[in-house]
Amino acid sequence: MAVVAKVWIDEDCITCDACQDICPEVFEVTDDSSMILAAVRTDGLFDRNEGGSLLTGTLGAELGDIILEAAEACPVEVIKFELVGDGAAVTEVAAEAPAEIAPAAVAAVAPAAGASDELNAVFAGDRTINILFGSQTGNAAGLAEKTAKMAGNYGLEAKVVDMDGLDPASLASMKRVMIITSTWGEGEMPDNAESAWNAINANGPGLGSTHFSICAIGDSSYDEFCKAGHDWNGKLAALGGKEAHPLQECDVDFDAPWQLWVNEALPLLACVDSSGTLQVELLEEMKAYGSGDDDDAVEGDFTPGKIVREELTITLELFRYCPEAAESGWDTLTCSVPGHATVQDLLISMQQDVDGSLAFRRGSGAGTPTTGIRVNGRVALSDSTMIADLTSDGGRVRVEPLPGHPVVRDLIVDTSRYENHRSRAEPWMRTDPREGERLPSGAALGTMEPALATALHLAGDVQSFQLIQAMSDTLAHDSHYEGPGVHFQQWLRAKDPRTGQEQRRSIMNSLLQRDGVWSEADHASLMRFGEDGRLAAHSLNEARMQLLNQTKYAGKHGRLVKWYGRSVKWTGKVNETTLYRQVLGPLGLVGNVFSGVSARMALAFTRNGSPPIRSLQSLLLPPAGLGRIPNMINSKVHDYHEVVSLFNEIDQRF
Amino acid sequence: MAKITYYPGNVARAGASEVEDMIQPLCRALNIQLVELPRSSSDGGNIIKQATPKLQDALVARNLALAENKGLDVLTTCASSHAIMCNTAQDMARDPVYASQINNLVVRTSNIEYTGESKSWHLLHYLVEEIGLEKIRNAVKNPLKMNVAAYYGPDMQREGACGNDDPFMPTYMEQLFEALGGHAVDYDSKCQSVGSTSVLSLEDTSLSMTAAVLSDAIDSGAELVVSACTISHVNLDSYQSKAGRVSGKNTIVPVCHLSEIVAFALGFYPDRFAQLRTRVRLIGS
Repeated sequence: MAVVAKVWIDEDCITCDACQDICPEVFEVTDDSSMILAAVRTDGLFDRNEGGSLLTGTLGAELGDIILEAAEACPVEVIKFELVGDGAAVTEVAAEAPAEIAPAAVAAVAPAAGASDELNAVFAGDRTINILFGSQTGNAAGLAEKTAKMAGNYGLEAKVVDMDGLDPASLASMKRVMIITSTWGEGEMPDNAESAWNAINANGPGLGSTHFSICAIGDSSYDEFCKAGHDWNGKLAALGGKEAHPLQECDVDFDAPWQLWVNEALPLLACVDSSGTLQVELLEEMKAYGSGDDDDAVEGDFTPGKIVREELTITLELFRYCPEAAESGWDTLTCSVPGHATVQDLLISMQQDVDGSLAFRRGSGAGTPTTGIRVNGRVALSDSTMIADLTSDGGRVRVEPLPGHPVVRDLIVDTSRYENHRSRAEPWMRTDPREGERLPSGAALGTMEPALATALHLAGDVQSFQLIQAMSDTLAHDSHYEGPGVHFQQWLRAKDPRTGQEQRRSIMNSLLQRDGVWSEADHASLMRFGEDGRLAAHSLNEARMQLLNQTKYAGKHGRLVKWYGRSVKWTGKVNETTLYRQVLGPLGLVGNVFSGVSARMALAFTRNGSPPIRSLQSLLLPPAGLGRIPNMINSKVHDYHEVVSLFNEIDQRF
Repeated sequence: MAKITYYPGNVARAGASEVEDMIQPLCRALNIQLVELPRSSSDGGNIIKQATPKLQDALVARNLALAENKGLDVLTTCASSHAIMCNTAQDMARDPVYASQINNLVVRTSNIEYTGESKSWHLLHYLVEEIGLEKIRNAVKNPLKMNVAAYYGPDMQREGACGNDDPFMPTYMEQLFEALGGHAVDYDSKCQSVGSTSVLSLEDTSLSMTAAVLSDAIDSGAELVVSACTISHVNLDSYQSKAGRVSGKNTIVPVCHLSEIVAFALGFYPDRFAQLRTRVRLIGS
């Protein structure tokens, strides 16, 4: 059985359809040439695969024989492929006899063993590349995602940045920057880049250690073709930034020029070392490394595993809100998506193919904390939630904004309430001066035992505190409540042994306030959201335990816990009479009488004919011992001394 | 005949005694034999947990151990009690050291231990998954014939506590209502909390949450709301009028327990069912 590593199409395809007929899973014949489908390629592109991208997963083995059959059937022999067998690769051309066995040439993501010392030195430092996009309809955003995927070939760690909310001051710390921006209207910035552009003009940072390159998308039928890109190019250069590769203009058919740009600009920027110096002499070696044809590459397949799932046909229900018209509603459509696509992939497709005005927050594809949405009732991060984990074929995907926050537009919510609460709560580290380790500057450095550090890390190891905040059902009903996302962070800080005493006191006082941890009406609403929700509920319960000790069970919450425990200890059962009387007090009970609550409870007004006297006795009369209450209500459980023993063994405060 | 132990929860044998009236005949009609656990105690209601999680877990583990001692699972009508039992069982399974600490306490005081064999069932999941909707449909004597909205609450709507139902978009109760001859009404808030554990200490917030759920159900066409959680029923029913006044929303709708509506449809307490039908006709939307 042949195992194909990669397959590509040479020039001069006569588009006879033979390959597509034999192996439609891999080949698709267009008007110009046969193409290799994006779904089977690790780079996700749709072209002739001249770059030699590997086949994904086990496709090479599953379809190997059929690909060879297609190559043999090609009348002009333009289908080329590379075989892998027995740990080595065999290079073949069309259906000719196998050539001499050569060492495996597989993609390597780590610095290649055979790379020069200079190249390895470049790989050793910070490899972040920031890919900024200014996008009106989603085209630039899509190209930014594709660029990010290709950056890994050059050992770069790509970070895709939406210009919406970009702090221009942060540019100064970026060594490598790529900007992909469209131009809107008569030479204007796209909406999401407008504020960043204004900010950088008002107060631009020095960019002495920044190398950049810009891809400008536009429409040549307009006078101000690609003006936004040129504006950024001029501004970054004026601030001292170094243009690593000249600006690339792209017309409405932008794929080819973008590909040209990215093939040149990426290896150049990859040659920028961690000090911000462009090592241009390494360019050729870097290109060879990026193309994966380095004969000295280490053996083994280091390509990250890619999960491929069946295509699903789903009904998408998408919440829409237009603030200008103050109208909201649902868009519903049926579509087919790969099961492994994320919700974000789905939204991007919607934006690109159906409605460019759809607004949502985009992430880098690895669980970006700010991409929270509600999908099929769950709160989740859109860029890490797969469609196949939400529904099955023929199912429904219902996408809504994250709950607990006002909606700005479509799926975008205003998180300012959360941010303001968090800012006031100050959950960041403030240490006290102390004896012990010191930084080179002389400042005190708190220390921690490794086991405690691990435990502390695990206690707060959640995807997003914004999601924790949105898990609460209480938040929408109490405008003062700071929310579990904020309190969770505060409690983690209070538990940290490096935290100063003053800050710890301040946090505990804050948690005790009217808007503190007692404002959460039901931790069950957090518990249901998987491990993150469980961690949050557990931490917030810990905070309550400490506050109960600190306040000696004072206040309504303290009395509720104290008397609940006591009533269980007395009989093994809960005595509601005791609870109502002790927690609400005489005034509260009278209040319930006048508000009709007691009447509804006791007189069975809304019940369905159960004897009212039972409820009356259980809820209003004093607790056990009067001898006139039905046994089922106030009797003790059998062997109740066992319950008392448990209380005495574990907690004698009740 | 199916055999299972019965745990009434904290209120079914107190303020919500109508649940106790219904569960016995309901189970008899469906060939379920309930075995009493007279030594079982309160599960702490997630209130004792706020002071001492270990004490609550020990109380729950003792109850589960009592069932395990009889070689049976546990059935309860309260979503909150069911979730508490699932939590303790999961925490003990996750952390064997913690499980052994809890079991040491339970063995020392009660001479039994919980190994994880017995598990908790909520009445809803037991009916749908173990008894089967077809059998229930065949046993119906008084079809509901009304628009019924299900209230699940958040407690049991999570992985590991709701059987094979979807935790976030559950349909078991709706399927059950259809089998009982009713028309199920779907609405968004059916898994939202009504803050029942905090109604005494955080009344305004709890009432606002209650009003949101009830008004959503009413706006969706519900004539009757059925609660899978015995303790949440207090908020949904007894505090209903007050919640309406506090929130300014329409909250007036009959509310009953899951065990009640199943028992009614199976032909028990026809007088009470008639009373409910009258209330639905008078105040239902």
